[in-house]
Amino acid sequence: MKKKVLALLLTTTMIAGLTTGCGGKDSDSASSSNTNDTSASADTSAPASNDSASADNASTDNASGGDAAASSDDPWANVDTSEHVVITYMTTGETPTGTKEKYDEMMTELNKILTEKCNAELQTYFISWTDYLSNYNLTLAQMDGTVDLVGTASDWLDAWPNSKNGAFLELSEDMLKTYAPQTYASVPAENWELCKYDGEIYLIPEDNYAQWTNHGFIYRLDWAKAAGLADGVKSWEDLTTYFKYVKETYPDIIPWDSDGTQYAQMAGGWIASHSNYVPIDGINSAAMWGGTRDDLYTVYSPFVTDTDSLVEFAKMMKEWDEIGVWQTDVLNNTSSTNRDDYRIGKVAAEQHHTQTWTDLVSHTPANTIYDDDPNAETGFFYFGQETGNVTALSITHGAMAISAGSKNPERALMVYDLLRNDPDCYKLFCYGIEGVSYEVTSDGLRTTPEGYNQDTDNINGTTNFWWGRNDDLEILDATRDWDKINALYDEYDKIKIEYPYGQFVAEVDNIRSQISNINEITTNYMKQIAFGKYSGTAEDIVAEYQSALKAAGIDEVTAELQRQFDALYK
Amino acid sequence: MGKTKTKVKSNYNASLTFFQKVKKYRVLLLMCLPAVLFFLAFSYAPMPGIWVAFVKYNYRDGIFGSKFIGLDNFEFLATSGKLLSLTKNTILYNLAFIILGNFLAVFVAILLNEMRSKWFKKVSQTIMFLPYFISQVLVGILVFNLLNYDTGFVNGILTSLGLERWQPYSDPNVWPPIMIIVYLWQQTGYNSVVYFAAIMGIDGEMMEAAKVDGANGFQRIRYIILPSLKPTIVILLLFALGGIVKGNFGLFYNIVGTNPILYGTTDIIETYVYRATMTDFNFSTASAVGLYQSVIGFIIVMTVNYIVKKIEPDYSLF
Repeated sequence: MKKKVLALLLTTTMIAGLTTGCGGKDSDSASSSNTNDTSASADTSAPASNDSASADNASTDNASGGDAAASSDDPWANVDTSEHVVITYMTTGETPTGTKEKYDEMMTELNKILTEKCNAELQTYFISWTDYLSNYNLTLAQMDGTVDLVGTASDWLDAWPNSKNGAFLELSEDMLKTYAPQTYASVPAENWELCKYDGEIYLIPEDNYAQWTNHGFIYRLDWAKAAGLADGVKSWEDLTTYFKYVKETYPDIIPWDSDGTQYAQMAGGWIASHSNYVPIDGINSAAMWGGTRDDLYTVYSPFVTDTDSLVEFAKMMKEWDEIGVWQTDVLNNTSSTNRDDYRIGKVAAEQHHTQTWTDLVSHTPANTIYDDDPNAETGFFYFGQETGNVTALSITHGAMAISAGSKNPERALMVYDLLRNDPDCYKLFCYGIEGVSYEVTSDGLRTTPEGYNQDTDNINGTTNFWWGRNDDLEILDATRDWDKINALYDEYDKIKIEYPYGQFVAEVDNIRSQISNINEITTNYMKQIAFGKYSGTAEDIVAEYQSALKAAGIDEVTAELQRQFDALYK
Repeated sequence: MGKTKTKVKSNYNASLTFFQKVKKYRVLLLMCLPAVLFFLAFSYAPMPGIWVAFVKYNYRDGIFGSKFIGLDNFEFLATSGKLLSLTKNTILYNLAFIILGNFLAVFVAILLNEMRSKWFKKVSQTIMFLPYFISQVLVGILVFNLLNYDTGFVNGILTSLGLERWQPYSDPNVWPPIMIIVYLWQQTGYNSVVYFAAIMGIDGEMMEAAKVDGANGFQRIRYIILPSLKPTIVILLLFALGGIVKGNFGLFYNIVGTNPILYGTTDIIETYVYRATMTDFNFSTASAVGLYQSVIGFIIVMTVNYIVKKIEPDYSLF
């Protein structure tokens, strides 16, 4: 009797398991067959492209490149691309809504080219900004071929932890040479070295794109001048003067309507401005370990050693809080729209990086402050300006990886190679269709065509291809104020050092629980310190913070990192 | 009377084979089926996944292929030094929610029952029920807009009355009452439905008899309704106790957010773990915490059930 009951139970479990399993699969295959349907039109062109491939083959024999169509010898002549595949590319960003129509048109154009050249088409899988890191990692953990190409980053998208977890495919040099030949040739060998973990290449770096993402304060230069700062803000003390002036002169303006998440950048910025600290990326979000410019390979944490500087920071932030730089309940403020408020003159400062400043400093249609007030000017105080402490960006700040769950990694590499190096694909994917979403001026700058509507026609900045931008193909934006931007870039180039720890991938398995606890402690105390919300004196809160760090084992972490440094650099 | 009846039945049942019984009770069994399947699919089938709490999880090797590392994943909880205060906060809040929640639900159910105007009864029930359907995210925003310092509704009233502004987001001590009030506001309407249904199920003859004997309204509540509700109350309490170590993440995360000034009185296990593991996305640590909560919950249910069984065997769960 009991056996029978058991048997029945087991069968029901099995059936339950089967039905649920099947349910999932069914919907999957249904959706994929749908996509096949939509690509039917592309399918018909497949034999044609094969033909042209064989034609290429023939022409490679007498590879003089006389005729335009088969000019460069087809590098993939020997690759079997008979099956039409869909490559999904994962990126952070919002799914286009207002611009959806133009986005779809652009993708159709792009997929025509991709189908012709490698018989594949591209789909984008957007990871929305809300909780992006969790959703990003969860999608990677599925490993069921949901995504093929993965936009990643060593400093802000967990590239190394995911490489270690087995989420990314090892890219052998043969694979790269065969399927992404142009990319392989354009990335120097020493840069490939920086993309290796345990001897295997996991990432394709965006190493041919000039950008600066060092943070600082963007502010109204004309107001700073009126506040008596003739050369603009040059230090944190100047910022205090500036904020005081703004608050007194324009009582309706919140000087900086921050939300509660800016504490780590503020603390890091303060330390950069008051020491020679060079942080290591990718260990924790507050980047609490590093070396100094004079002694790069001795690990320390300024959060433990630079007590006096932190106390001074806490005091100044308390002063800012009392001035009313941010809203009283800043720590619970999650709905700040500070950057857009800056564009229209509702706030007087924004804390972000140089790339953002290049937008805000320019008289673009969105930045209405320049229309409203012809004297309006935007300055940038970058962290580390006082001490000249600026470090260039790591080349894996943007990188492309292939998901280990991808069913067509070869084709994914081919698609990437085209996106990154083929001028037509690149321009389509980054700027949209010429004449609709952008136009090129006579002096080679990018502008918007007649009748252009930013809300429906814009493609630039919506596909978020931050993992393979290429300065050889970039068309500079005509609305940007390149004189000011290049002046700042030149200034950076004089003082910068290259990011020194590109080859270092920290092994944190043994110190993971310490780091988790240190993160938690830092978040809790730094929020109070960086927004001046602590009770008691600045000395007390810093001492309390540091003793909590000690108790959580920060010295062990420092020692372990030093050990790993010694193994790598000595 | 009832007891002998069931005894006869069970004797009769014993003479049937398993399949005869299945056939005889097929309708009842069919009605059970969705619940059985639900628990099989969502509670029993994933159970082997507990294993992930004991391994160094690697996507490619899967749960059972990853390296076994024993209790290392629990180390994070222990070394934080906060386990005690987090568990204490979680349990105390849940106790307050369970006790006050059930008390208020019974109270409201009785009030509803005593109402004579059908129209008023329906309207008030609906109004109390509505907050249950509001997303916690919106509740968080509502609370922030009521209480915040610069533009909050409460502070707007206070300043227009010439009083000093109130700064709740900098004062951890005011939050336990606020959390409890928000919880009660949101849940009471829903909880009271169960009790209201139980009151509806009380034998009308008893009420009639009491009325005839001259019992007034309060006496009827005291001597008939409350005793009849006792089994329902006990069972619901026992069920609720099983989840006493599981905090209400949505409520706490959305209302308190990540304001460290308030953590002393509002940080529960869920919110802490969310913050601490969000940055390094570690399935194993998260599962270890889940297992810890389940084990504590299991111990509490077994203990309470044991005590109830000692006092009043009929009311125990099993």
